[in-house]
Amino acid sequence: MLKFTNTFRDGIGFDTVLVVMALGYLVVFSAYPLAYNLLMSFQSVDLFTLTSFDRPFVGLDNYREVLSRPETAMIFWNTVKFVGLSVLAQLCVGFALALFFQLDFPAATWLRGLFLAGWIMPALVVGAVWSWVLAGDFGVLNHMLRQIGVIRENIFWLSDPDVALYSVIIANIWLGVPFNMILLSVGLAGIPKDVYEAASMDGAGRVQQFFTITLPMMRAQLGAVISLGVIFTLQQFDLFAALTQGGPSNASNVFQYWSWQLAFQNYEIGLGSVVSVLMIGFVIAVAFIYVRSTRYEQES
Amino acid sequence: MLRKYGLLAIALGIVALYLFPLYWMYVTALKSGTEIFANPPTLWPHDPQIRIVEVWNRLRMDVYLRNSFLIAGGVTVIVAALGTGCAYVLARIRNRWMDAVLFAVLMMQVLPSSLMITPIFVAFNQMGLLDTPRLAVVLAQAAKVLPLYIVLVRASFLQVPRELEEAALVDGNSRIGAFISIIVPLARNGIMVSSVLIFLQSFGEYVYSRSLISERALQPATVGLQSFMGPNSSDWAGVMTYSAIYITPILIVFVLLQRKIVSGLTSGALK
Amino acid sequence: MGKTMIGAMAVGAATFATAAPAQQTVLDLWTIDDPGEYHYVLAEEYMAAHPDVQINVRTVQFGDMVNDLARAMATGDAPDITYIDNPEVAMFAQRGLLLDLGPQIAASDIVHTDDIFPGPLASVSLDGGIYGLPRGANTIAVYYNADMFRAAGLDLDAPPRTWDAFYDAAKTLTRPDDNIYGLAFSAIATEEGTFQFLPWIQMTGADFDDVNTEGAVRALTLWKRFIDEGIASRDTLIRSQWDSTGTFNAGSAAMAISGPWELPRMRGEADFDVRAFALPVPQEGAPRASALGEGDNVILKSTDQPDAAFAFLEFMYAQMDRVWNEFGYLPASDVTVKDPQYPEIYAVFEDSMRAARNRGPSANWPQISQAIQGAIQQALTGQATPEEALARAQDRIDRIIR
Repeated sequence: MLKFTNTFRDGIGFDTVLVVMALGYLVVFSAYPLAYNLLMSFQSVDLFTLTSFDRPFVGLDNYREVLSRPETAMIFWNTVKFVGLSVLAQLCVGFALALFFQLDFPAATWLRGLFLAGWIMPALVVGAVWSWVLAGDFGVLNHMLRQIGVIRENIFWLSDPDVALYSVIIANIWLGVPFNMILLSVGLAGIPKDVYEAASMDGAGRVQQFFTITLPMMRAQLGAVISLGVIFTLQQFDLFAALTQGGPSNASNVFQYWSWQLAFQNYEIGLGSVVSVLMIGFVIAVAFIYVRSTRYEQES
Repeated sequence: MLRKYGLLAIALGIVALYLFPLYWMYVTALKSGTEIFANPPTLWPHDPQIRIVEVWNRLRMDVYLRNSFLIAGGVTVIVAALGTGCAYVLARIRNRWMDAVLFAVLMMQVLPSSLMITPIFVAFNQMGLLDTPRLAVVLAQAAKVLPLYIVLVRASFLQVPRELEEAALVDGNSRIGAFISIIVPLARNGIMVSSVLIFLQSFGEYVYSRSLISERALQPATVGLQSFMGPNSSDWAGVMTYSAIYITPILIVFVLLQRKIVSGLTSGALK
Repeated sequence: MGKTMIGAMAVGAATFATAAPAQQTVLDLWTIDDPGEYHYVLAEEYMAAHPDVQINVRTVQFGDMVNDLARAMATGDAPDITYIDNPEVAMFAQRGLLLDLGPQIAASDIVHTDDIFPGPLASVSLDGGIYGLPRGANTIAVYYNADMFRAAGLDLDAPPRTWDAFYDAAKTLTRPDDNIYGLAFSAIATEEGTFQFLPWIQMTGADFDDVNTEGAVRALTLWKRFIDEGIASRDTLIRSQWDSTGTFNAGSAAMAISGPWELPRMRGEADFDVRAFALPVPQEGAPRASALGEGDNVILKSTDQPDAAFAFLEFMYAQMDRVWNEFGYLPASDVTVKDPQYPEIYAVFEDSMRAARNRGPSANWPQISQAIQGAIQQALTGQATPEEALARAQDRIDRIIR
């Protein structure tokens, strides 16, 4: 007993308790729903047997059904595009803004705070506003582009199958920028000033400083922001509901929205679960890469 | 000097561009239901109608907002209490086990709430948690955002120099003592920013609240917002007014707060 | 431990209540209404008239109703009475979850099925049983901007009655240079899209389970021409009925297909002369059809108070002559509405209501509806011809119905 309290004070016991508390909580409240989804993907689930475990197993039938649907491949690639482009653009814009607002000018820190607006507007509002900004006829974006002479004909941002997905991506980038920017700002602020001063004295230019100091010292932050960005983007759901409903004709549909459509609109719950299992697979890959990347972050 | 104001001008331009959707929310709140669809769009309403008082009173927003604060506050407390220590350990110790833990933590956040809610509802119902629906939402939402918090705060702990901690232990501090009095204060920026993000995220929580809380008097503001949406109709100006009412003060508070958190504390702390 | 104690107390309370002289009947009612609307108002009135009945009303969002009900049934927390959107009644009825009201209606002095219009009656009927009573109904018609009609030289008093005439009028009314479309409607990939489309094919003899017909192809081709020729906005594919009609109110479209729920906003905000006519038919003499919206009051089979629940249903049904003026629904049965609001437009909708047809019935309605939406979207975006799109939809529908 004394030994245990000692390790708790000074050794591995302390660490274990901290980790187990959080992990235990997650297992109780999050792992169960995940397992439930996994289970349902192998069963024939009706809306009315959703809550009982006594459901017929159908092996891989649901998987076969989903994979044989003609729209599956398109929706998969849409998902990849949606996640890849959103995360990349959010990161670049967010990082650029974080660096910019790091510069010394009046009101820089105040203005930076205003970006949080994107984080607190309710999803319903964000979706509605973007649907009006992007509307083909009365949309503000087309109106402005016409005014400054960039376009002659209206672009139907949301109903042109070639454009719809990218329109949702634009709105999603807007949503993700504050998160990236605020966190990267914190990371930037955490880099001691004297490191830069030393580098300046050694004659390193700004660009060189960015690559030799800023990037390496931000590795942990970047890893966190990217992996969370992927996960957030995979959870983005309201924008699809508000802007395109995954349409026209699945042109902008992605796994997370499709899974919901199958499970909660068509009541093909087994199929919806299959799609969510596919998403879990997707995230396993991302989490794996993230965990691997953390191997190299100790140097700071 | 000139350079400073040049930068300010650019910054104002960027902010104006970014905040356009926010502006559009405010303008739409003042428009009639039809002017929203006017072509060409009107950048300022012809006949602004302010419905703040009507919306506030009709929907009894004070009740909704109080619930939102309770839920978001509860989530933030639970998450900070459980997540900070875990994030610290994950930042300090590197081995296969910790890799596995980090991996597991990320995995827990995969699915959107809308796909998690059914099993959660069933489980909570069996546990009797639905009798205290706000607590149920707090517990579920805390599980939802805990991984986010852990990953973010972990990154902040990594920036705390290890030598400081070792020095504290040499000075005769226990692990707990060093953790609470040295390490957490040094990472407080990251902790506070992450907590703010968690708070705001939970303030906007909708899916769990609408499924787990059936009593109107216990629902948060996001659920109340839905009463503008009928099966065939939507009172868009009402939606925008309602959200403007609660976004504006929160935004102001957090603009002030983030300024302190992000820039104010760091420079001194690490010197 | 704590739970047992509460349980014991609850049992004690129940015993006590039974022993009390004035026994309270408690009914749980789920609705999509907010306070001040239909169910809240009628529950108040009923409780005032029957002090021994307590009705607990709970609001559920329209889109969540089916899921929430299914979950509540599984956990044993289902209400006694609920609102269900009309195409979804079959789904619940076929699984034996709803009370067959047949015997109670047969004994009722208030409800006579002969009075209920065929569309609404079909929506609550399945295999000889009657599983609910419509609380009201709605349907769609064509609103038009009379000022634009006049300016285009169209005859105000003889609005188009056939598809060809309708197409010609819409084409004439389209003025791209002034940002004005001839027509606004909704082909969105949700239930609203099916709701707007189905009557067009039903007029040609096709129906939800038989979409691969010449007539249905003709209907879809007509819709496609509206989009391709710029008569309606391409955003029709992603815009709800409410938002589409918003463009009509704003003067950006000369006609709009939608229902009576638009009227309050239209009266307040459209600054032109609004009139309406019924959906046009494929050719003179073809059968009419219109959409059927709104929902039904149903009693769940799990209720322990079927008689008290039915008494309240009867009460609500008896208010049918009030629903138009007070709640904005069309009566679903043959009643006389005194001094209807918007009298001319009411007459158009009241007449269309007689032609309104049910969506379904099918226990798998949402999947069928999705197949139909898919066909509409594929054809209108040009990813498939109307023939191909409808053939594909028929394939899926056959597999669903099996």
